Amino acid sequence: MQNKQKVTMGQYYDLLRRYLLPQRKTLIGLALLLFASIGLQLVNPQIIRFFIDTAQSQGELKPLFYAAGIFIGFSIVHQVVSVLATYISENVAWKTTNTLRGDLAEHCLSLDMSFHKSQTSGAIIERVDGDVNALSNFFSSMIIHLVGNMLLMAGIIVLLFRENWLIGAGMTLFVVFAVYMIQWIRKFAVPIWTQWRQVNAEFYGFIGEQLEGTEDIRANGAEGFVMNRFYAMLSRMLPIRLKAFLGFAMMWNTSIIIFAIGNALAFAVSAYLWKTQAISIGTVYLIFYYTELLAKPIEKIRTQMEDLQKADASITRIRELFATQSLVTDGPGTALPDGPLGVEFRDVTFSYEGDTGAPTLDKLQVMLKPGEVLGLLGRTGSGKSTLARLLLRFYDPQEGVVAVGGVDIRQCKINTLRKRVALVTQTIEIMEGTVRDNLTFYNDSITDDQILDVLGDLGLLDWYGSLPEGLDTKLASGGGGLSAGEAQLLAFARVFLTNPGLVIMDEASSRLDPLTEQRIEIAIGKLLTKRSCIIIAHRLTTVQRADHILILENGSVIESGRRAELAANPESRFSRMLATGLEEVLA
Amino acid sequence: MSTFTFLWRLIMYRPYRYSFNALAWTLIYLAPIVPGLITKQFFDSLTNESAAAYGTWGIIAMLMGAAVARVMLIIVGFITDVQFRFRMGMLLRRNVLEHVLKQPGARAIPCSPGEAISHFRDDVDQSEEAVSWSVDSFGMTCFAAVSCFILIRIDAQMTLFVFLPLVLVVTTAQLATTRLQKYRAASREATSKVTGAISEMFGNVQAIQVAGAEHRVAQRFRRLGDDRRKTMLKDRLMTEVLDSVFSNSVNLGTGLILLLAAQKMRAGTFTVGDFAVFVYYLTFVTQFITNFGKFLTFFKQMTVALKRLTALLQGASANVLTAFNPLYLSKGERNAKREKTEGKSQDPGGDRLNRIEISGLSYLYPDTGRGIVDIDLTLERGSFTVLTGTIGSGKTTFVRALLGLLPAAEGTVRWNGRVVEDLGSFFIPPRSAYTAQMPRLYSDTLRNNILLGLAEHDDNLPRAIHAAVMEYDVEHLQLGLDTMIGPRGVKLSGGQAQRTAAARMLVRDAELYVFDDLSSALDVETEQKLWDRLFAARGEATCLVVSHRKAALAHADHIVVMKDGRVEAEGTAQQLIQSNDSFRKLWFGEGS
Repeated sequence: MQNKQKVTMGQYYDLLRRYLLPQRKTLIGLALLLFASIGLQLVNPQIIRFFIDTAQSQGELKPLFYAAGIFIGFSIVHQVVSVLATYISENVAWKTTNTLRGDLAEHCLSLDMSFHKSQTSGAIIERVDGDVNALSNFFSSMIIHLVGNMLLMAGIIVLLFRENWLIGAGMTLFVVFAVYMIQWIRKFAVPIWTQWRQVNAEFYGFIGEQLEGTEDIRANGAEGFVMNRFYAMLSRMLPIRLKAFLGFAMMWNTSIIIFAIGNALAFAVSAYLWKTQAISIGTVYLIFYYTELLAKPIEKIRTQMEDLQKADASITRIRELFATQSLVTDGPGTALPDGPLGVEFRDVTFSYEGDTGAPTLDKLQVMLKPGEVLGLLGRTGSGKSTLARLLLRFYDPQEGVVAVGGVDIRQCKINTLRKRVALVTQTIEIMEGTVRDNLTFYNDSITDDQILDVLGDLGLLDWYGSLPEGLDTKLASGGGGLSAGEAQLLAFARVFLTNPGLVIMDEASSRLDPLTEQRIEIAIGKLLTKRSCIIIAHRLTTVQRADHILILENGSVIESGRRAELAANPESRFSRMLATGLEEVLA
Repeated sequence: MSTFTFLWRLIMYRPYRYSFNALAWTLIYLAPIVPGLITKQFFDSLTNESAAAYGTWGIIAMLMGAAVARVMLIIVGFITDVQFRFRMGMLLRRNVLEHVLKQPGARAIPCSPGEAISHFRDDVDQSEEAVSWSVDSFGMTCFAAVSCFILIRIDAQMTLFVFLPLVLVVTTAQLATTRLQKYRAASREATSKVTGAISEMFGNVQAIQVAGAEHRVAQRFRRLGDDRRKTMLKDRLMTEVLDSVFSNSVNLGTGLILLLAAQKMRAGTFTVGDFAVFVYYLTFVTQFITNFGKFLTFFKQMTVALKRLTALLQGASANVLTAFNPLYLSKGERNAKREKTEGKSQDPGGDRLNRIEISGLSYLYPDTGRGIVDIDLTLERGSFTVLTGTIGSGKTTFVRALLGLLPAAEGTVRWNGRVVEDLGSFFIPPRSAYTAQMPRLYSDTLRNNILLGLAEHDDNLPRAIHAAVMEYDVEHLQLGLDTMIGPRGVKLSGGQAQRTAAARMLVRDAELYVFDDLSSALDVETEQKLWDRLFAARGEATCLVVSHRKAALAHADHIVVMKDGRVEAEGTAQQLIQSNDSFRKLWFGEGS
């Protein structure tokens, strides 16, 4: 327990130093405003006391008007100060969390595929957005409110001690008691609240399932069944909701009782002091006023402590994420040769489950000369796509060496490697943004003319002409508004815009109809001049341009050779495929 | 329906509970009157001992008594509030859900399920909130009236001079909050851009890494974040200014009182006790105005909520929303329901099917204009008809329109010669049962997923499971039929889900079984078994099957080939192979 506490403190310190320290000038200003605001809140009751005592002793009228004027003036100044303080702290919070969010996002993007496959994108979003949002309060109002309110509370108590030790001591006891009670009562209220939230989530999960399954329900006459489940759920929810809200009422009631006790205490002590003539009537009012003023910081401190607990969990998770290292690390940066790149797999063994799992690729040997085209065939799960992923270093093999252009790819910088090795897959990822952004990925060095040339090559100029705002037309996320074929062509265009030495096409044309496929054949031919290529395919037509054919099964090569030779040899699997159709042989 | 009628009808769903709730909350809001008066008593007892009716201890006892009374009232108030609100909100949800379930199943909601859920949750919550706050504004108004009366009796002039300007200031500020909406909308848009960017970044991680664009994408994300910061700050600044007007109005009011009271206090006509009670009520008066403002906001939002909920009904009257229906929350209601269902004997049973004649059936999807046109088809008792055709030829649309899962625009369906009026409510068990193309399973046990409320009798369940080739899978589930499936339980494979849906259909004794692409996720062996068993198990039942698998086509005694939403050809497999080009392609495969 002790140890855990220490870690947490260290974590806070780390984050604060890294993200809050750069803003230290603003923070100093903020602290000054905070002090001013507290001072103004503390001085006002003193003015009222002066006013009452002067009025009661039949003093002059003029000072009374001055006092009233100063009171109003201070109130307005306080208002301005508190607005300013909130504005600044909010600004600090956004700046720090934006930096943190950006750093986290960049870190996550740099992690390898085994990380991304093990996490749903929803979970990562929750970290980068949800957890950082929880921290935003930690960075801003926590400082203002927690520190500010503690200071305010301390100030009130000090000032009460200044009046009389008895009232000071009484109120100190009261504050300790109040904070303790409010914390204690939470123990009962919070779990029921969590329970209510859970039932609620279940309820909407239920509604969602019904709304998705209306067809099944309707056609199988199950409406009655659904409604009965709905009623059963209601009967279960009502008592929990009642309990949850009573828990909430309990927290409210606790503060009502506690502050009534506070008032009673103030009344009792000040009545006693008044009767012994130790204090004036103005001071009695001052004590009353300060007691009322205490309610605010006590409540605020409670809510801030809750937020602090939430931030705690978030900080731990964020730190874990930062600590996650990519399994694929940059090499020293050996340069790849210019021009077409050869490929070599030497005894490559790889499993997605690490060393223990069944190997997806088993001592694989592949050789492709620069400038040649390799057709890769095999049924689903034979390891074709895995081979492509290894070439781009989404994963590293457990054994063996993958070399591109004669260089072990672990010696290259990952970024350089991916610049020279391009991949087109059947899943096309269209992002929300303009057509240009989708083609260039925000690379400003690619000119519009280059883009138009490529679109022309791919026969997309008609499509381009139909875009209302040309390259600035917005595309919806997931490619809504694009046909599957068009989206696929855009994926090709992305590759055309870079200058790779090796192109991998993983079932890239599977979504195109035969007509379109023929149309882009010419464009692909152009793309592949002076480049090496690996074509992964289900359909035999797609590998027509291959110089070499490789058939994989269970992660090993079961046939390999020049396409023309294999086709000519009636004994080869490839020629049998050609004769009977691919599906029959592989199914 | 106007928003006000809507509000009124919701209140009238449980008028006594509402009134009781209103009474409880009015008392809760009136309760702070007492501590105000007690405080005045306390100060007066100090400054003017002859006026003291109670000693200091008496006053303290009263103070605590008032607090305890208020606490009691709050407990009662929370109970009445939950009891009323829960019923009202759930009535709305019940009525919408029931209506949705009565709609043509494939078009039951006009939006995505996700959106519909947000209507179920948020729009109903908004309506609940508005109704609930009507109680609070009433209670607060009572408090304002009573406290004004007390203050005027103390000093009418002062009450007027202090509260009038204050009410004006706070009301103006409250009105200004509506202008906040603009800033709110901007900051919300900026936020959704940021969250959108995050989900895209991590949804498209591979493409980004392939393009080596990690840094550029992150850079763009940072820019969006900064835009959000700017809009957020504007929004916050406005909110904070208004908030501080509310919270500081008490201080300003106190200052005003000081200014006005100077002379009177010196003259002794305005006591410290009077001063204390003035300041005490100030807080609550500003609260009154903000609460009233809140009610107005909720009321406005209720208008939007009503519009959205009505849209969910797809053209039905908004009266559906507030129709009176029991929720079976009390024992009495539940018992009454049980008696009713027990009294009602099983459905009289569909009349034996001899022949279904479909003529001129049409349905066009409103957004694409595609669909089916003018379909004629006759199904004889005991026949096995297979609908086939390429993707997008209208097979599923036809089946859905026939079963009333899509609202057919034209055409008639005759059951034994009689025209069926409402297809959707006619084609249900025991007349027909159906397996959808993408069947849905619910988070429940496998048993309940198959039965969907049907009683288990004889060996209907094991028989259905056998016919659907599920017995092996059930054996291998840890808890067998009682295994929880769905997102929180065991996740079934696509093939298992399809066979569960088939069992769901087969467990219902029906005259007509309709299955849409039953075998699309099954391997060859299981599929063969399934068709064989189905053929044996169906008995005399009529089957209408959507499929392009040879195994199904081989069993068919009648095949319908569809193309572009029309029937292209009909006949047996032999006939069609000879006469129909598209059928030949389907039968022999398109070739590689």
